[in-house]
Amino acid sequence: MSNVFEFEGIDGMGYSQPDLLIEKSKIKLPSDLVRKELPRLPLLSEPEVVRHYTWLSTRNFGIDTGFYPLGSCTMKHNPRVNEVIAALPGIAELHPLQNESHQQGLLSIMFEMQEMLGICAGMDTVSLQPVAGAQGEFTAIRCIQEYHKSIGETHRNKVIVPDSAHGTNPASAAMCGYEIIEIPSREDGLLDLDALKSVVGDDTAAMMITNPNTLGIFEPEISKAAEIVHSAGGQMYYDGANFNAILGKTTPGLMGFDAVHYNLHKTFSQPHGGGGPGSGPIGVKSHLAPFLPTPLVTRRKRKESDKVVLDDDWWYMLIEPSKSIGKVQQWMGNVGAVVRSWAFYRRYGFQLEKMSEHAVLNANYLRHKIMNPDVNTLDTIPIMPSEGSEAKFCKHEFTISALPLKEQSGITAMDIAKGLLDKGYMAPTVYFPLVVPECLMIEPTETESKKTLDTFATKFHEVLAEDYETLHKAPITTHVGRVNEVQAARNLVLKYEFEDQ
Amino acid sequence: MDQLPNLGREPEMLKIIGLDSIDELFSDIPSEVRFPGKLPLRNPQSEEEILRDARMLLGANVTSKNKISFLGAGLYRNFVPSLVGQLIGRGEFLTAYTPYQPEVSQGMLQAMWEFQTMISELTGLPISNVSVYDGSTAVAEAITCSVRVHNKKATQKDTVYVSELIPPHRYSVIENYTQGGGINIKKLKHDDNGLIDLDDLSNANGSCAVYVEQPNPIGILDGGITKIKEIIGDSTALIVGVQPTSLGVLEAPGNYGADIVVGEGQPLGVGITGGGPIYGIFACSKKYLRQMPGRIVGKSVDDRDQTAFCLTLSTREQHIRRHRATSNLCTNETLIALMGAMHMSLLGPKGIEKLALRNFAARQLLEEKISEIDGVVIPYSESNHYNEFVIRLPMNAQKALDWLDDNGIIGGIALSNWYSGRENDLLICATDQTTLHEIETFKLKLEELLRGFNDE
Repeated sequence: MSNVFEFEGIDGMGYSQPDLLIEKSKIKLPSDLVRKELPRLPLLSEPEVVRHYTWLSTRNFGIDTGFYPLGSCTMKHNPRVNEVIAALPGIAELHPLQNESHQQGLLSIMFEMQEMLGICAGMDTVSLQPVAGAQGEFTAIRCIQEYHKSIGETHRNKVIVPDSAHGTNPASAAMCGYEIIEIPSREDGLLDLDALKSVVGDDTAAMMITNPNTLGIFEPEISKAAEIVHSAGGQMYYDGANFNAILGKTTPGLMGFDAVHYNLHKTFSQPHGGGGPGSGPIGVKSHLAPFLPTPLVTRRKRKESDKVVLDDDWWYMLIEPSKSIGKVQQWMGNVGAVVRSWAFYRRYGFQLEKMSEHAVLNANYLRHKIMNPDVNTLDTIPIMPSEGSEAKFCKHEFTISALPLKEQSGITAMDIAKGLLDKGYMAPTVYFPLVVPECLMIEPTETESKKTLDTFATKFHEVLAEDYETLHKAPITTHVGRVNEVQAARNLVLKYEFEDQ
Repeated sequence: MDQLPNLGREPEMLKIIGLDSIDELFSDIPSEVRFPGKLPLRNPQSEEEILRDARMLLGANVTSKNKISFLGAGLYRNFVPSLVGQLIGRGEFLTAYTPYQPEVSQGMLQAMWEFQTMISELTGLPISNVSVYDGSTAVAEAITCSVRVHNKKATQKDTVYVSELIPPHRYSVIENYTQGGGINIKKLKHDDNGLIDLDDLSNANGSCAVYVEQPNPIGILDGGITKIKEIIGDSTALIVGVQPTSLGVLEAPGNYGADIVVGEGQPLGVGITGGGPIYGIFACSKKYLRQMPGRIVGKSVDDRDQTAFCLTLSTREQHIRRHRATSNLCTNETLIALMGAMHMSLLGPKGIEKLALRNFAARQLLEEKISEIDGVVIPYSESNHYNEFVIRLPMNAQKALDWLDDNGIIGGIALSNWYSGRENDLLICATDQTTLHEIETFKLKLEELLRGFNDE
């Protein structure tokens, strides 16, 4: 166990640099601003840096390492051609303040993505600027806020979210200044229309909801919910976290939504990178389009006077929507992620529908395999978990409740999760959504083979067959055992303490 | 379709579930919302075809690889050592999610804890998170954080002061993030030398925060910034925006009273990348810890008493605190921050000092050469600068840029894009990547342009 600050290398050995353009003694420095002590950055040579970070990588689990059924996160395979493309100098070296004529290739890709995303969600106009799902939520709610201002409805100060919503939904709306009204879900985890009716009113600005919901169940009464909200003058916001389930099958537009965000790092395979970067474009219906962030990409037929850059007849341009909220990221968003996602889209084209079909097939298959062990296996399992939802079909993900185990033997959802780590898997999402007690939320994605799913189900049953003591000590095969998170929060050590401190 | 391992196995899998067709799995979607027909999208392509199209399209872009560039304005040409690109491609880093399961995520957690330490060393502040989206959202989050910390005792409630030089694209982000909290943003004046007007600063007393940049948006290094904290006192946060490579030479803002330091991390670790993904730096003193945004890694032990790392202080965050969270931040820019950490690991203390000096030297040489051109005025030449400085042309700066572009040079940004009444001012930039040849070419071309202009 070592960390990067404990290497005893010679300063400056990691990376040799060319000489200064003028002699050091001739450089004019602001004497009142020069630092007295250099920052204590690590002291490593290049080979040591390689070893250190390679060693760290061996202590980290990614999709490349193994099955990653983390519900709500859509951990699908990340095609590597996307990385090659994002590293091309046409994007890697491009400055967003350069002339339009310098950016025609990128702008054409962005235009194609705006169009494709609009079609897939049934929205009229798309902005690629938000750099994460949460920022997409924030941006779209800002657009709704300005829309309401523009029609004199500034009294609308409440945003409704179901209690099963992702935490970012209420957080994003609160950042815009809204009061949050949380409505309870029905016993079966679905949206409660009566509860909705009881809170909508002329102070309703919007409702934020994801569909399929966080239990992985399609909300059958979504159109009615949209009617209720719309008839009160509110707007419907679609959280695109679960978009992977529905491409080509339905659209948020058809369901009655006015605005959506997309997670390119979920549905369109931008790698998650241990926590980011992501990209969270938003799509809106035409009445919200004037408020979108600036700039958007548009195109016109190429004129004689335009430089010939691309081999099509179009000239791509950046435009500012007429009543734009301005900017939420100071450049054009995470265009590198947009380019990767474009490459992903090109792989599928209209067959994106197949992607969703296989995501849903895999989820239903795995749900069936886990919940229906064969007789011999069942004999080994003292207590089976229960379904998070009784719905006949799930969409891209499903939930399981470990409540029966907890009540009878003390085994928690977290114990099962840690047991799965010992079997060589990433754990499912645990304790979310809150409406399912002792919840394990499982999303296999479309890129896992039947064999992987079969093996996972078998290993899951092996975990269920283990006793409390064993599971409570899990994981034991990982680089470290259960981490004391309470101590981490109580005794904060947020950086390396150098010896002379 | 090479991305779907179960293509062709559908009947077998459906049979096990007890179904006949995939359509049945979607029978719960009411018919009135079913998508009619097929998605009207193009045909699928193979990897080879996609790569060919990508090379054609992105190859049509013009970058600093094709033209000499003096454009900075918040993003800076740099050299990212080769091993950063190689190591960052390791799938264990690239394809991981946020480390919710610390037992199998020690690699990224430790790397981020080390990153926090490096940012702490650069900025002179004890706490750093693992990144925010970019420099602009870092400022915006710093402002809302400061208001949460200071508003109770503030005599100017919900009020912050921001340097009037902050360019509109950054200012717009600040406005969007602060309007919901009803925060008033007032402008801090600068004097004719481009320096913060310290007399005007007393107006900020009793407000929640003051935001300034060092170097400022037009490249000036302002010694007055080190005096701000004495003037505004403890009940107002001093937020300083930095270009992180400059801290190889410049004093850590934490050492002259900064409470929060933010910045565009880009020059450390990642190329300009069309403006994203890059990463935002957010460091602060202890007072702001419980109100700050973003993920933080702490060091702890496991059940065998081994050192182990995990995410901590998550009770600030949206997944726990929901609408009372300090921020909606969830997905951030961890992988890009990791690139920054690798870059800093290679540089070491003397390496980052040399990198900063290279930037100083290149800019100084550019100024020396440009100042020799007849008709060009350098308005703030008595001040020290980093990366950037303003030059005043005897002609419209945008027109000059158009001519330079036709002559192979990306000549910076016309300041009329940011400030009114600056039609002839150009903001130009030199970094460690700028060469003597590029500077001489720029000078020759500017001379040629202005000769033509003077002859007209």
